[in-house]
Amino acid sequence: MAFFRTCDGFGRRDFLRAGVAGGAGLSLASYMQMAHANQLHKGAKARSALFINLNGGPSHMDTFDLKPDAPDEYRGEFSPIQTNIPGIYISEHLPKLAQVMDKFCILRGVSHSVAAHQLGTEYVNSGNRPLPSLEFPGYGAVVSKELSGDPELPKFVAIPKSQQRPGYLGVRYAPMNTSAMPAVGSPFRVRGMSLGSGLTVTDVEKRNNLLSKLDRTFGEFEAESQLLDGLGQFGQQAHAMITSSKSRDAFDISKESPEFAEPFGKSGLGASCLLALRLVESGVRFITVTNGGWDTHRENWDALSTRQLPPLDESLSALFAGLETRGLLDSTVVYITGEFGRTPKINTERNGRDHYPRNMFMLMAGGGVKGGQVLGESDAKGTLPKNEGFSPDDVAASFYHALGINHEKEYKTTTGRPVMIVRNGNVIPELFA
Amino acid sequence: MKAHGTIFTVLLLTGAVAASDSTIDTAAVRFAADATTETPDFQRHVVPLLGKLGCNGRACHGSFQGRGGFRLSLFGYNFKADHDEISGRVDPETPPESLVLQKPLMEIPHEGGQRLKPGSWQHRLLLNWVKADSPGRSEDAATLSELMVTPAEVQFRKDGQQVQLKAVAVWSDGNREDVTDLCRFQTNDDQVADITSSGFIEASASGDTHVVVSYDSAVVAVPVMRPVSDKTGKNYPDTPTPTKIDELVIARLKKLGVVQSDRCSDEEFLRRVSLDVTGALPTVKEIRQFVANETSDKRAKKIDELLERPGYTAWWTTKLCDFTGNSDDQLNNVTPIRQAASQQWYEWIHARVDQNVPYDEIVEGLVMAVSRDPGESYEDYCTNISQLYHKGNDRSFADREQMPHYWSRRNFQQMEDRVIGFAYTFLGVRIQCAQCHKHPFDKWTQDDFKGFQGFFTGVTGRNTNPRPENRGEYKQMLAKFDTGDLKGGQLRNELRKIVQKGEIIPFGEVYSTPPPKVVVVERKGRKQNVRRGGGRTATEARLLGETPIDLTGYEDVREPLMAWLRSPENPLFAKAFVNRVWAAYFNVGIVNPPDDMNLANPPSNAPLLDHLATGFIAHGFDMKWLHREILNSRTYQLSWRPNSTNRLDERNFARAVPRRLPAEIAWDMVSQAVSNDDKFARFASSTDGRAIAITGAGTRYRGNGDASYAMTIFGRSIRESNCDCDRSEEPSLLQTIFLRNDSQILEMLDTKEGWLAQVAKENGVPFSSRTPSRTDKSKLARLAQLRVTYTNRLTAQQTALARLKKNGGNENQIARMEAQVRSSRKKWKQYLNPGATDNSEDNTSHAVVNVAKAIDDAYLRTLSRKPTNAEAADATEFVAQAENEMDGLRGVMWALLNTKEFIVNH
Repeated sequence: MAFFRTCDGFGRRDFLRAGVAGGAGLSLASYMQMAHANQLHKGAKARSALFINLNGGPSHMDTFDLKPDAPDEYRGEFSPIQTNIPGIYISEHLPKLAQVMDKFCILRGVSHSVAAHQLGTEYVNSGNRPLPSLEFPGYGAVVSKELSGDPELPKFVAIPKSQQRPGYLGVRYAPMNTSAMPAVGSPFRVRGMSLGSGLTVTDVEKRNNLLSKLDRTFGEFEAESQLLDGLGQFGQQAHAMITSSKSRDAFDISKESPEFAEPFGKSGLGASCLLALRLVESGVRFITVTNGGWDTHRENWDALSTRQLPPLDESLSALFAGLETRGLLDSTVVYITGEFGRTPKINTERNGRDHYPRNMFMLMAGGGVKGGQVLGESDAKGTLPKNEGFSPDDVAASFYHALGINHEKEYKTTTGRPVMIVRNGNVIPELFA
Repeated sequence: MKAHGTIFTVLLLTGAVAASDSTIDTAAVRFAADATTETPDFQRHVVPLLGKLGCNGRACHGSFQGRGGFRLSLFGYNFKADHDEISGRVDPETPPESLVLQKPLMEIPHEGGQRLKPGSWQHRLLLNWVKADSPGRSEDAATLSELMVTPAEVQFRKDGQQVQLKAVAVWSDGNREDVTDLCRFQTNDDQVADITSSGFIEASASGDTHVVVSYDSAVVAVPVMRPVSDKTGKNYPDTPTPTKIDELVIARLKKLGVVQSDRCSDEEFLRRVSLDVTGALPTVKEIRQFVANETSDKRAKKIDELLERPGYTAWWTTKLCDFTGNSDDQLNNVTPIRQAASQQWYEWIHARVDQNVPYDEIVEGLVMAVSRDPGESYEDYCTNISQLYHKGNDRSFADREQMPHYWSRRNFQQMEDRVIGFAYTFLGVRIQCAQCHKHPFDKWTQDDFKGFQGFFTGVTGRNTNPRPENRGEYKQMLAKFDTGDLKGGQLRNELRKIVQKGEIIPFGEVYSTPPPKVVVVERKGRKQNVRRGGGRTATEARLLGETPIDLTGYEDVREPLMAWLRSPENPLFAKAFVNRVWAAYFNVGIVNPPDDMNLANPPSNAPLLDHLATGFIAHGFDMKWLHREILNSRTYQLSWRPNSTNRLDERNFARAVPRRLPAEIAWDMVSQAVSNDDKFARFASSTDGRAIAITGAGTRYRGNGDASYAMTIFGRSIRESNCDCDRSEEPSLLQTIFLRNDSQILEMLDTKEGWLAQVAKENGVPFSSRTPSRTDKSKLARLAQLRVTYTNRLTAQQTALARLKKNGGNENQIARMEAQVRSSRKKWKQYLNPGATDNSEDNTSHAVVNVAKAIDDAYLRTLSRKPTNAEAADATEFVAQAENEMDGLRGVMWALLNTKEFIVNH
């Protein structure tokens, strides 16, 4: 087996030894770091995570960070409304979320400097500013590596697909993409999971029996080849997943009672949130939901009030309430963000707002995150954080913290370079109750 | 060689002899006594000692942030910076109270714990240095010439055997010193040999590895082996060695007691070599012919034949695009049309691989690239490039002399990035370590890195502007079009539309700038040297491991770099390539990972690597020579079936190692296996639509077509980070789920051009493109019933009509009846005309599928062999129990696609 050497003198073997057994291979300094980490993460509550990506960059000024007193060329058309937490106001087009404000936290004055969609998205999906020479793993990949899961279920599911790539962690940690967006009340086909082409479980069992008879060429030697052994194990696991009613049920949102499903509405986002909730309940570790249409360069207010905000309002409020009803809110951390905010100053030519990473909002809920609060603040015109502000790295560190993952843990990149999970972030302590 | 044990003793004696000359004793001895007054040397003793104690490691003061406000250069070798740092921690008045002593002694709290024992030789060494006013390294200090480690090779025979390594530093001033106690020791595999921090090795499991000794800039790897069996030397069984490669491999295996497996069967060979060389499976006909062929050189002939197929060209173009970093993401905005740059790059290499242009010439076309062909004016250049984008043109970028896009990548603009990318691609070296600190496993220092950088300073790469003297022309050409003040992306977008209409648009270019010229001018009556022009081009640079070169004489400062690359003396260029080709055929490189050639990671078989590299150079960098040389060896043609000595060995080439096929080949192979005979056979003559012919890559690349999802989960190279590991060949759960149950795969089984459709047609049976489900089955039953009903009703109408005509019925009646028949035909069309064939149901239901032939065929087209009797029986039974034969065969094909034997090359 290849023995990868690394720039810092650690071989992979050393790394494993330190990670598994402790003792001889563990230096004092790294031991102290670990001890620190344990202490830090003793209180972690979340066992699953849900990341909702609002693609295109939602306008902070018209959603969760309104500036009713800003000059006309900044303010925008919407008015704030009072939430169920005194003193917290959000957009009038989010009335349902206003009624569950106690369940989530708004982060204002989050700031970075990457104004391109792709790079900004990579940034908020990994907690690391993109580098040209290294691909950082998305949250889901890291969580798949760090947390154990149910063998009959994928650990990381992307609805319908995700910007979170496995990066230097390798293809093993890639998400399972559903490829399609579910729709409430309709049967849902999931790539690789749903039985295709008229097959029944019995058909698949029969085929698998045949396969096990025919797949004996390597015989005893299989145990001695890492590759063949791995293929064998993946084969068993895949078969279990494909045939188990557990995994198929998890993906089948038509199994939800109509009363429970109703609040999620008829939108794709609503159905995706409902599916995500079912997956969390079944034991999937990490789910991403991707929702687009937020790149409102033109007719910003029209697009938001008619197309974007109503389904968001409906879906997220139903999600938070649903997680709570099922007793899952405490053990599921939810992180909702776009890749950036939008220009506080209105583009009057197009009646829209353009890309703006210097100031944006993010939402977090569940998994020990204290709801009903606003952290951070932006200035009077919504152009910059008022004080220090937060970085996407900080929020990423906090997200991992909620899951009991030390964001300062070091991985080796494929070239052997040691890199922390989040390189420049600090946990935001106020997030946690 | 003599009997066991002796070699080991002899080597030890050699070590003892070396110590007996004028070598200075080790520091541990010299500083053992309290009375010693010797002043240690900063470079020779103090820094190595700090390294040995772990002070300058990454977790401690070698961290870039330092620790506790104290920072040392990682792994030493920045003597000035280290000396400055330490100077603040020595107390020349009361030396014992120096922080540099008190901390590691734990006289005062030290987060890193106690590192020095009071009164130890290490303590004394440091103390004496402080007492002598802590001298640093002088500018003209001697440098390390060599680190001699004895024994040079260790062979263990049984458990518990031990050996102590000894290291002697030879300095450029002629000084020789035993530095064993100042070296750092590591093992590459502690299962085979564990080594203590003082260089003491103890035998453990059998196998082979290296222990690595580091001191100052030197890194020395000492091979340690313990034979796996008693079949060593003379006891080694008689094994044929038809080629030089085989001789060299066997020479090594004889030492290890590892016996080679037998030669593989013809079927195994044909499948393996076809997939390896052309990325495609052999046809059923080809397998039959090859097996039946009894000539002795049939394997060599087949190799020649395969190397001439388009699959070879496409696959090795893809590999060269991997190594050279043809990434669409990094080439964003380099051409007016998205993805054109990576397409052109692929085409350019493809044309050359197709012609078997020597490797060094292809490399020259990349390394020395500028956008303009020799003698091409700016106007001609713009015309020629514009024409590439004109509709219906038959020109290709491949006709251009060079490949400038290599220099245009976004991640190849900083000089540091160029050094890293270049060293990765052409030298197989991870020089990036030396960007920030001494390379921990090689001799490269930051100075080497910086010195090398100069060769990359003369190129303007981003392709956004023309040469300065052509900027006017650029503007004039642009002025012809109504582009207003458009800039950046909007301008590019407009120019794309214009050029696609057939206009000539201005282009930016990759160009080189010679270093500044030194001219003598007279100023105020005095002659002065003045530097003219040259931009940021360096005037001096240093090739890795060489002395500095004056660049001012060169028009293009890359010239000496290219000359060095292809020179027969270059230690890395040829090796990097032959090693990668070897790795493609043997799962691991002779140096592995193949792109990590460094002193601490020596080749598993150095003579073999030398032989291939030397031969490659001697044959004028002929790539096909190299492939042929390797593929014709018996070693390549071994069976994967292990024997008791080579079961666990995957790096000495004693058997074939099963390996997961690369993403593109896995996908192509699945598509091929399920295709009908015609389409299957086309894989040998064309690469159209194949994954191995996908041109670009990148994390955001959208040119993968249908194969897109498969390429992601099977780990096609993203060509992103200067690492062969951008391509992944590890298995994953998603890959298995994909092959078993993805609708894409399931649907491929049932296409019109598919094998199943062909079998149905050949056997005259109907083919429904899916396995009927329970609801389908009831639907089908109803359908069948309706078919009978409507067919009967129509027949009745037709009979009535015929009777009417026969009986001379009146015209109105006949016309009405005819209209009724027409309307019934139309109304019941879907029930009356099942399937594409004209065969009525009655006929087809009596047809019998030749299941035995179909099963044979399924095996040959997937596993390139016939089924064993047991396998044939199992498959036949499965078909017999299925709903119908076609459904049964679909299950057999599915199972074969999911065997391990299918997805690995073996």
